[in-house]
Amino acid sequence: MKNLLKKFFDDTKPLFTGDGKYKKYEPVWDATKTFFFLPSEKVRAMPFVRDHLDLKRYMSVVILALLPVTFFGIYNTGYQASIGAGESWSTLTCFLVGARYVLPLIIVSYAVGFAWEFLFAVIRGHKISEGLLVTGLLFPLTLPPTIPLWQVALGISFGVVIGKEVFGGTGRNILNPALTGRAFLFFSYPVSMSGDVWVAGKQLVDGVTGATALSVTGAGSQSITAALGDAGYSLGQLFTGFVPGSVGETSALCCLIGAAILMVTRIANYRIIVGGIAGLVITSLIVQLIPGGQDSWSDAGPLYHLCAGGFLFGISFMATDPVSAPGTNPGRWIFGLAIGFFTVIIRVGNPAFMEGVMLAILFMNVFAPLLDHLVLKYKSSKRIPNV
Amino acid sequence: MKTLRISRGFNLDVAEQPDLSCVHLALPPSLGCCAGDIPYIRPKLLVKEGQRVKTGETLFTDKRDTTIQYVSPGTGLVETVVYGARRRLMEVVIATEAEDEYVEYDPVDLNGITGMPRDALVSTLKKGGLWQGLRQFPALDFADPDHSPAMIIVVMDGNDLFSPRPDIILKDNITAFEAGMAILRQFSDRLAVVCRESSLEGVRTIGSSVADQITHTAPDIYPAWNPGAVLYQIKQEVAENTAWCVHLDHLIMMGRFLLSGRYPVDKIVTVTRPGEHPPHMRARQGMPLSALVEKMPENSIVTTGRFNGRVLEEDAHIGFFENTINIIEAGPGEELFGFVRPGLDKPTVSSSFLSSLFKRPAKMDCTLHGEARACINCSYCERICPNDLMPSFIMKALHADELEDALALGLMDCCRCGLCSFTCPSKIELTRILSDAMDAYYKDK
Repeated sequence: MKNLLKKFFDDTKPLFTGDGKYKKYEPVWDATKTFFFLPSEKVRAMPFVRDHLDLKRYMSVVILALLPVTFFGIYNTGYQASIGAGESWSTLTCFLVGARYVLPLIIVSYAVGFAWEFLFAVIRGHKISEGLLVTGLLFPLTLPPTIPLWQVALGISFGVVIGKEVFGGTGRNILNPALTGRAFLFFSYPVSMSGDVWVAGKQLVDGVTGATALSVTGAGSQSITAALGDAGYSLGQLFTGFVPGSVGETSALCCLIGAAILMVTRIANYRIIVGGIAGLVITSLIVQLIPGGQDSWSDAGPLYHLCAGGFLFGISFMATDPVSAPGTNPGRWIFGLAIGFFTVIIRVGNPAFMEGVMLAILFMNVFAPLLDHLVLKYKSSKRIPNV
Repeated sequence: MKTLRISRGFNLDVAEQPDLSCVHLALPPSLGCCAGDIPYIRPKLLVKEGQRVKTGETLFTDKRDTTIQYVSPGTGLVETVVYGARRRLMEVVIATEAEDEYVEYDPVDLNGITGMPRDALVSTLKKGGLWQGLRQFPALDFADPDHSPAMIIVVMDGNDLFSPRPDIILKDNITAFEAGMAILRQFSDRLAVVCRESSLEGVRTIGSSVADQITHTAPDIYPAWNPGAVLYQIKQEVAENTAWCVHLDHLIMMGRFLLSGRYPVDKIVTVTRPGEHPPHMRARQGMPLSALVEKMPENSIVTTGRFNGRVLEEDAHIGFFENTINIIEAGPGEELFGFVRPGLDKPTVSSSFLSSLFKRPAKMDCTLHGEARACINCSYCERICPNDLMPSFIMKALHADELEDALALGLMDCCRCGLCSFTCPSKIELTRILSDAMDAYYKDK
């Protein structure tokens, strides 16, 4: 297998490099080759030893951290469909039905995303960066399973092109590309992104609302937690994730597993995740202390805010995107805290946008360079000048 | 004795520690005076091919200051003058004669050094080709004799993890060390003598008089003992930015030169190679690589410091500032699906390979392990920088031509240890970018 592949790349090399016939498509050839074979050039400049971590490994760890969320998302999509159909399916059936809805989203996202990447790489003549490996999986996980595939294609196109490539590609983007794509769909096609879209293959069965927990409000004097319980969103269910929602966001548990993998391997910066959770907890406690609003999310308390909606997914996988987050440690704390804060504020103060975390992260992405700038100014002032 | 605290740096275990015995190497057929490892030099050659030179005779000077002289490490005919790219002088090679004939100077005793006028001391050291052992921060050019440094840092350990141990360099040279310290006291009241923790015991055994003069110990985390890292740790005011530093072997050379009136021709050299523990070697200055390393493993490179040295070609000679040779093998070649392997045998300072779970000696090779990409802001470089720099932000400031910003972020505090490039997952040559910018700024100033 290895020798065959090696032979294939050795044989095709003259076509794609130097004065080869398909020289223009060298980035595509190169990306395929380096996917199979880790490049191992000799170091020519000091230092002469280098760490083994490279961007491919970096992104692969993120993919690894996303696997629990992805597999649970596939299963849960099938499980919700079974409830929607009013039937009781086996685990395998749920998984297969889920895969039938979710896999096309992932495949379309990767295919269209890579098509754009290839196009830009060929035109610009640079190598294909690994960023899309993560973006291409993150993006479909933020979508409802019922979304039309053409919208997935449109969303990932917007995310990759406007969110990333116009700035110069991976490493130079201001906003998180996956969230940019989602925000584009959210505002352009609200019908596919909100309301009664969260359960795939739903037939009209009484008692199945198909709305997410965040859109629940208490009626009259009923408290929000009681209303959530009535609607089938107990804290335990929100934590394990057997509720309707975007494919990847429902399970707080799986998100926490992913966050743990990212923090232990130090691929994601723990300051953002810890800061974000702290910001959310503190803000939701303060909001809870304000009198009134027993029937709305302002009175839900930190645990419900944490487990419902996409907060944990966003803070673990989206906010920790190093490119669009601040590059300084104090900046990362502030960034995380502010995301937690804005998530609660948007959820409580603006019921039109129930899912606050997407806007909170994009909003803070814009401020990340400013945070860095302030931190750098402060740090410079603390150094003994050396000019 | 103070302990330097350094939390950042490289503390992987590398199993190439040279043996602590010391062998004496015979005089090789050729010796070289190397110009390739001298920073900022604009050499002016003073000899011709075929000319006979004595040991200690000037071979070339620096056009920027012609009193700085680089002298012959042996006696014999000038065999070849080697030029590099753009006719940069690389080496002057001497075909050695069996007996050394020295350029003789008047010996001075210890009291004489203390009583010597500063100017006379400077000119003697310059004539002897040893003044350039004293380096001046921030760019580490040769020290300006008209400058009174706020502090002189004496570094006992070399640039690499496995540079020669100070006790082996100090053996039989305690008097020369004292003489060297007496020279330094002529230039500054404040001497900081820094020793690695692991070297301290050896120094104590060799002579308590030396051990008593050690002012700081540095932890065994590379590059805690690097002069730039030491300066950053103990620096308290702006005046110290132009401190001087000197390595132990140069200090002893200065002492021996004044005490004997002859150019000291030997130095201790270590060779590290994977899987072996060669002894320390007492070799000549300008020893050819072939005499130090018998057989080279295939597909490997030779450097004079795995993090901050230069590459030595097969016919090269070791330079005045170099005393460590690393043989680094290339990796296993292109691995199938290299990026998803568990990586038990892949040493890393991150935690993204299984190797980070087990504490065992790291096998380092000279491959890049990836391809260059854009900076993704991951802060690995900041996390490892011993001098609290943020190399990625400095790099961006430099790319934007914001030199003032780069300087404010501490560009000139960089000690060129090489760790930022070592750790960068985007394989950006941060050390080279920072180092080039420092050089450009220094030359421009």
